[in-house]
Amino acid sequence: MPSVTLLGIVKRYSDVTAANGLNLTVNDGEYLCLLGPTGAGKTTVLRIIAGLTTPDQGRVLFDGRDVTSLDPEERSAVLLSQTYCLFPTMTVADNVLFGPEIREIPEADKEQMLVSLLDMVRLSERANSYPKELSGGMQQRCALARAIATSPDVLLLDEPLRALDARLRIDLRRELKSLARTLGLTVIHVTHDQDEALVMADRIAILRAGKILQVGTPAEVFNEPESPFVANFVGQSNFFTGKLVNSTPTGAEIEDDDGRRVRARATSLPIGSKVVLAVKVGQTHILKREVTPLKGRIERILFEGRVVHVDVDIEGVGRFSSKIPVRRRGRYNVGDEVGIGWNRNKAKIFPYPENGLEDELKVD
Amino acid sequence: MPLVELKNVSKRFGKVVASSNINLRIEDGEYITILGPSGCGKTTLIRMIAGILEPSEGQVLIDGKDMIGTPIEERDIGYVFQNIALFPHLNALENVSYGPIVKNLTEGERHNVSNQYLNLVNLLDRMKMFPSDLSGGEQQKVALARTLASGSKLLLLDEPLSALDARVRVDLRYELRRITKNLGLTVLHVTHDQEEAMTVSDRIVLMRRGRIVESDTPEMMYRAPKELFTANFIGETNLLDGVVVSSGIERSLIELRDGSIVEAQPGEFDPGDLVVISVRPENVRATDEGLNSTIRSISFMGTYLRITAEADSEDILGFDVHVARGMDFNVGDTVSLGWVMESALVYPKPPGGIAEAVKLE
Repeated sequence: MPSVTLLGIVKRYSDVTAANGLNLTVNDGEYLCLLGPTGAGKTTVLRIIAGLTTPDQGRVLFDGRDVTSLDPEERSAVLLSQTYCLFPTMTVADNVLFGPEIREIPEADKEQMLVSLLDMVRLSERANSYPKELSGGMQQRCALARAIATSPDVLLLDEPLRALDARLRIDLRRELKSLARTLGLTVIHVTHDQDEALVMADRIAILRAGKILQVGTPAEVFNEPESPFVANFVGQSNFFTGKLVNSTPTGAEIEDDDGRRVRARATSLPIGSKVVLAVKVGQTHILKREVTPLKGRIERILFEGRVVHVDVDIEGVGRFSSKIPVRRRGRYNVGDEVGIGWNRNKAKIFPYPENGLEDELKVD
Repeated sequence: MPLVELKNVSKRFGKVVASSNINLRIEDGEYITILGPSGCGKTTLIRMIAGILEPSEGQVLIDGKDMIGTPIEERDIGYVFQNIALFPHLNALENVSYGPIVKNLTEGERHNVSNQYLNLVNLLDRMKMFPSDLSGGEQQKVALARTLASGSKLLLLDEPLSALDARVRVDLRYELRRITKNLGLTVLHVTHDQEEAMTVSDRIVLMRRGRIVESDTPEMMYRAPKELFTANFIGETNLLDGVVVSSGIERSLIELRDGSIVEAQPGEFDPGDLVVISVRPENVRATDEGLNSTIRSISFMGTYLRITAEADSEDILGFDVHVARGMDFNVGDTVSLGWVMESALVYPKPPGGIAEAVKLE
């Protein structure tokens, strides 16, 4: 299976730049999630790799071979688009086995393949149904099975789980990933859902406004974000803005205009610069008021199942959120006077964004 | 004040039974979600309350009045759709002003009301912008403001967040609850997303195949589901096959397929009964004496790792460990898994099998 490389890809439409100098390598057999908000240019990247859209500048390489000018059918890359189309007059089984590559496979092997594909997408009992008899989610799974059945080298998935029910999506994440691994496919999977990317990807590429902000393993992207946007988009973060007042190899301190001083990991930024600290909601703790400069009141407690989400309004700073285990929920009530804090090693400092924090964090 | 009651409501489309003998009472000011997989009949239910569909049998009452035969425009209901429908040539404020009730007011009143509701959804600074310049989340908020401006006390939300990005959805669901609670509205919110249902609602009504499976607060639905389907649908859970050894007021002892014995909540079972144990991944942990299991996969979930292991009993067990402890676990390792008795719930084994009982479609 090939690796896929994008070199300096630029694509402009009349008023938007969908790709603004993209560089990315997806390794042979890798499962890469392209994660970003709506309008980031995710679909454009897939279409350029598939050969359905021609870039204005830049090159696409498969295993180092330039395929930029090749037609889609010469690339052995299959794109499952969000607007897939099943043949209405054919059954699920016939749809799955439609591809030209499959018709040459011996009957017995075909049968075997059909069984395992339908089992994977949970449509075994619907093999003889017609598309109009299926729900939207079933139709999408049928299209997914058909795409995999063409045995492409590179599988390009554009929000393959989007039309599915939330609960079913959770089950299918792991199965789709393990199927891709078993078949040794190189997969590029576009999603706006950070949980999906965390669970499925070998590596995640975060895309925003036609640019790749960061590429890394799920743990790298989660724990070592390179910008406030990434810190907030992959697992929610709390932010604290201030001036860097103390910096040593073991840690840093920042202070806001009202003299609140909080701690973070070491940084190479210069003392006195305006900075913003980010700490994951899941690594933010509720403390006693006395032990922290961040004091406030609990404004909301939301039961989320595994955890309880607590919002604290910090006087003069704003809202901080925390996730606490369900067993500790009894300790807190709305209106309680509490403090907020974190382990300094979990807090990362960034230069204050040029266009302001709100603009930097915008996800919509 | 709107109190909605459905009495023995059924709806058939030809041979398909979309709703089957539904009885439901929604109190004034309550925020209810109707949750269930695709095709469970949740949209049919909300449409019968709205008056878009008439039931084949049964009564729909709003404030004690039978609504059968009353068209949607006379039911005083606000309805927000999944697909955001704004007028593209009107700006945000004009879109809100164009709500069915609002447009009959004098110009001054109309302006005030529209401003007020746009403010409620925090979009006053966007009032002059056209839908094409607004993000998806902002558009849905304008649509919500327009619906709220009509002043209806009963709000029906049909998958209002499902067209939006995951992250935007999370932010907006908090907003939905805050706004509707501020206004004291009665809300019926249809969704297939159990996380959304858990965070917004006072009460969840879980549906499957046209019937109500169970209805309770989010917390009870998660912690003490009465049905196996609920246990699996709301949150993730491990389901283990077993046979009751003993079951009393303190605990139950259950034998798994490999002969190992585990503890579970007390119940009224007889020795020899076939049962299913449900225990959530966050309640399973590595212990010294537990079920001998082999680690099959490890997923990074941000603040924790979800590890999937296969026990000697052939049951699959997911369990969560803190990231800091991740180094202790590798694929292929054997690990001993257990739980505290209270976190393991016991259900009679469904006659059609576990898979059929929890099937999502």
